[in-house]
Amino acid sequence: MPTLLIVAPILFGILAWLSPTAPLRTLWVVLGGALTCAAGILTALRGAAEFTLPRWSDNLAYGIEIAVIAVIFAISFRLKDWRIGLLAVAQMVMAALERLLPHAALPPAATFVIDPLSIILILVISVVGSVIVLYAIGYMRKHEEHAPDTAAPTGRFFLFLVGFLGAMNGLVMANDLRWLSIFWEITTICSFMLIGHDGTDEARANARRALLINMFGGTAMILGGLLCAVQGNGNSLAHMMSAQALIPIALLCLAAFTKSAQMPFQSWLLGAMVAPTPVSALLHSATMVKAGSYLVLRLAPAYQGTRLSEIIAVAGAFTFAATSALAISQSNAKKVLAYSTIANLGLIVACAGLNTPLAYSAAVLILAFHAVSKGLLFLCVGAIEQKIGSRDIEDMGGIMYRMPITAMIALLGMVAMLAPPFGMLLSKWMAIEAAIFSPLVLFLIVMGSAMTVLFWAKWIGRIQTVSYHERYDAERLPASMFAALIILGAGVILTGILAFPLIPMTEGLVRGAYAGLALPEASFKALRTAGTFAAWPIFLFVGLGLLGAFFAVRRFSAAVIRPPYLCGENVGGTDVSYSFRSLMDKPDTAWSKSLYLKPVFSEDKITFWANLIACMIILTMFGMIGAL
Amino acid sequence: MAKLARSPWVVHYNCNSCNGCDIEFLACLTPMYDAERFGVLHVGNPKHADVLVVTGSVNHRNARVLRNVYDQMPDPKVVVALGVCTSSGGIFAGCYNVFGGVEKVLPVDVFVPGCPPRPEAILDGIVKAAARLGAKIRGETPPPVEKPKAAFQPAAVPEEKK
Amino acid sequence: MEALLAFVVAWKPYVLAAAALVVAPVIGALLMGLDRILTARIQGRVGPPLLQPFYDIVKLLGKAPIALNRVQVVYACLHLALMMLVVVLLAMGQDLMMILFVHAFSNIALILGGMSVRSPYSRIGSQRQIMQMLAYEPILVLMVVGIYLIFGTFQISRIPAGGVPLLVQLPLVFLAFQMVISIKLQKSPFDVSTSHHAHQEIVKGITIEYSGPYLAVIEITHLYETCVLFTVVALFWAPNPLVGLLLAALSFLFQIVLDNACARLTTMWMLRYMWTLPMVLAVSNIAWLYLRNGASLG
Repeated sequence: MPTLLIVAPILFGILAWLSPTAPLRTLWVVLGGALTCAAGILTALRGAAEFTLPRWSDNLAYGIEIAVIAVIFAISFRLKDWRIGLLAVAQMVMAALERLLPHAALPPAATFVIDPLSIILILVISVVGSVIVLYAIGYMRKHEEHAPDTAAPTGRFFLFLVGFLGAMNGLVMANDLRWLSIFWEITTICSFMLIGHDGTDEARANARRALLINMFGGTAMILGGLLCAVQGNGNSLAHMMSAQALIPIALLCLAAFTKSAQMPFQSWLLGAMVAPTPVSALLHSATMVKAGSYLVLRLAPAYQGTRLSEIIAVAGAFTFAATSALAISQSNAKKVLAYSTIANLGLIVACAGLNTPLAYSAAVLILAFHAVSKGLLFLCVGAIEQKIGSRDIEDMGGIMYRMPITAMIALLGMVAMLAPPFGMLLSKWMAIEAAIFSPLVLFLIVMGSAMTVLFWAKWIGRIQTVSYHERYDAERLPASMFAALIILGAGVILTGILAFPLIPMTEGLVRGAYAGLALPEASFKALRTAGTFAAWPIFLFVGLGLLGAFFAVRRFSAAVIRPPYLCGENVGGTDVSYSFRSLMDKPDTAWSKSLYLKPVFSEDKITFWANLIACMIILTMFGMIGAL
Repeated sequence: MAKLARSPWVVHYNCNSCNGCDIEFLACLTPMYDAERFGVLHVGNPKHADVLVVTGSVNHRNARVLRNVYDQMPDPKVVVALGVCTSSGGIFAGCYNVFGGVEKVLPVDVFVPGCPPRPEAILDGIVKAAARLGAKIRGETPPPVEKPKAAFQPAAVPEEKK
Repeated sequence: MEALLAFVVAWKPYVLAAAALVVAPVIGALLMGLDRILTARIQGRVGPPLLQPFYDIVKLLGKAPIALNRVQVVYACLHLALMMLVVVLLAMGQDLMMILFVHAFSNIALILGGMSVRSPYSRIGSQRQIMQMLAYEPILVLMVVGIYLIFGTFQISRIPAGGVPLLVQLPLVFLAFQMVISIKLQKSPFDVSTSHHAHQEIVKGITIEYSGPYLAVIEITHLYETCVLFTVVALFWAPNPLVGLLLAALSFLFQIVLDNACARLTTMWMLRYMWTLPMVLAVSNIAWLYLRNGASLG
């Protein structure tokens, strides 16, 4: 089954790439997605497992690693970017060194491990990822029509899109450091190819930046592996964690920071939005950035109680607050989503750094809920962008009438990001409760949460701004896009309803993760009491409110509708009109822009200083554990 | 005062007034006269208002606006016309652009005569309007109002100016 | 009778919640009426009768509904429902942090309702209301954190009766909270988003496009909120309810005097002010609690 998880997407991706006609390609993509999805769910149902590959596979892994790095080196050659080339060479040298140096005799570790944390990631990747792939079929058909001439063939696009899922599945199962870094680099290559898909100058530049930053992370990771082996702590995550080798762990965390676009590495993810929307959706929700937060979470028990843990918490919380502030000044919908993704990843990292059972559970839940909601939001923005030809939030007024279904689903996704009874709010609540004894982290999370509310509320307000219409007609979307929206929308509602019972269910996962440590039983108690919160009043009153609203609007007719107050100067007298008579009796539309607070929160004011602080935090991280 | 109409919220629209009536209306809100005793709130927008207080004569330009403001008030609602201009056009009657009084555009509930009316008279008018509002809330149709008899008529144009 | 008593004892949290739902708006309305009378007296006027808020709401409920679209009505209903939920959760002794979140979302519902209509005044009011939330929400969270640091729980029902009053341990947070109340009640100098006094600038801001029964829903919500705020003030001296009531009365008077003594100031001034003085007060109080508990600040 795990083999299938990795091989099936890659295989079907290759088939899609090779298929000569579009219908055939669609068939392979659908089959690949369905198979990955089924394999993911089956793996989850089977539960924890371990797999050890035979001895000879070491040579295979070494070969693949060298091949992957060689591919990146070739790319750097084509890009004429010496920095990427240098990093590739460094990686190759370190990989060779690690191979040549004598290894300490340690009990052999499993090559692949499936534990509850991996299962959650596999579910996210296989299910959400497959839905996004499904959406991409319809999206790319439209995209081909107006894509620039420089765009790569769609077949190649699907090779990397579907193959990405395989690499991610491999990444979250790998225990062996070599396999881990192989899949790590493959995801880097995939994202590079997908970001550069359109081939425009901007796409190329951003793809190159993504490659450079992620190669930096990859180099840190291989260095970590090498150090771990040199110190005689073996070459698997399990060994590294049981040995509590802090410096290699910190290097792996640094790699994770680059992958999950933590400050100061956020620029690549912001640039990645030039890609077609399914790519953004995939990078932000199911794959790529989740790899980083996964690794930080995976290693969390190993650095529990150390200074490293505290610094990681501060770094994550700082990213959360700073990117939430940055999102306020953005009117580009995808950029707002990007900053929000980084902020949520920051929150996950902060929770991993807080490193209590409650925080760990919050982090896992945020990871899962965020994947579903954010995937959904990107898909909605993609559909809206194809319809109205703009991704500016200010242009999204009235889409409630033009595309009611997409607008409602987008609204659902946004509400799920911040309101009760949905899971995101609940996890944030757990995060605050977990942070209560770390004042700095707590303060950053509180400020970040307040600012998060600001930018979501603005956007929701713009989307649902609508004139009165007697009836709304559903828009026409390609079937695959429509299906994807419905599936993820249903997922959001389901996780919203199940959010409360899910908390105690994570206890097993958390206990498993902290099994090696003798944590006091009281710290697990917090987890259980969090779940006993009486949820029914929330559902009852939200239901009552909606019911009341239903009865209030049931008998709405045009007779109830009045134009807005425009000092009596409405054009058209008693008709419902939104224009007023301006100077010289010329009709003019009343319009108020949303609040962006550019003088305070603009990118050019904040980014530099925030990056500086983030760099200092990371340097402090290495300083504190004695690596500098 | 009718029990149901203890909170007449007022919106004030200046049609074409010389500001005399407006000053007197605002005087009603001051500590000296304290309209809030009767539950009066000056809300400043038609959507929240029950009573529309109009000053000045209606002309071609502002009739539309007056109508809009009135239409944006939720039923039941009453109109109070302050000053002589609102009943006949006052000293502006007969101007090329003036229609005349407010009743040309809206059904008026209370006329408050005077140029300008005293604040006591205005308060009295608003309280009477509130009583009519109460009647309307109960579903009754209050009796039609009579225009003040002593409306100003423009003097005949002197012979030598003809 | 005994059966009734047994029922009350057995279902105590629920009976309390139901009672609070009924009593809270009445208290809120009386407070508002008192507020209007006191304000009038300060200004040398007689003022409306004490029951004026009731008259207003009864009248509003009797008016014909008019609206701009369906969405705004949905949000008005959610605004009220979530505020009622706050009252219920408080009465049932639930988690304070969750109550705070629900309270925030009640306000967000109002903001979204104001944003859902194509009306410039309403939108401006909504955006200013967001700024208000941004200004006061961190202070409320810090207050709740302070309560956690003292009692070791967010659960109100687990807070022990008696002991040292909160005011003694959170004096600076209490002062900051007074400013929050001032914003929440839309009092000068913070009444930027919807104001009884700003006819010309934003007309009525966030609530302008609500009228008749829908405005009544929002007014009722405001009554609930007023009651909740002063209940929280009273809880700062929980061991002796009488002293608590006195505290709430003092706070109430302070709000009215402040309202009458100040002019309305700008939104950015409010944000800057709230994030400096009250924020510093709250943070230093919380820092003191950490130090007293023997934890490091790192």
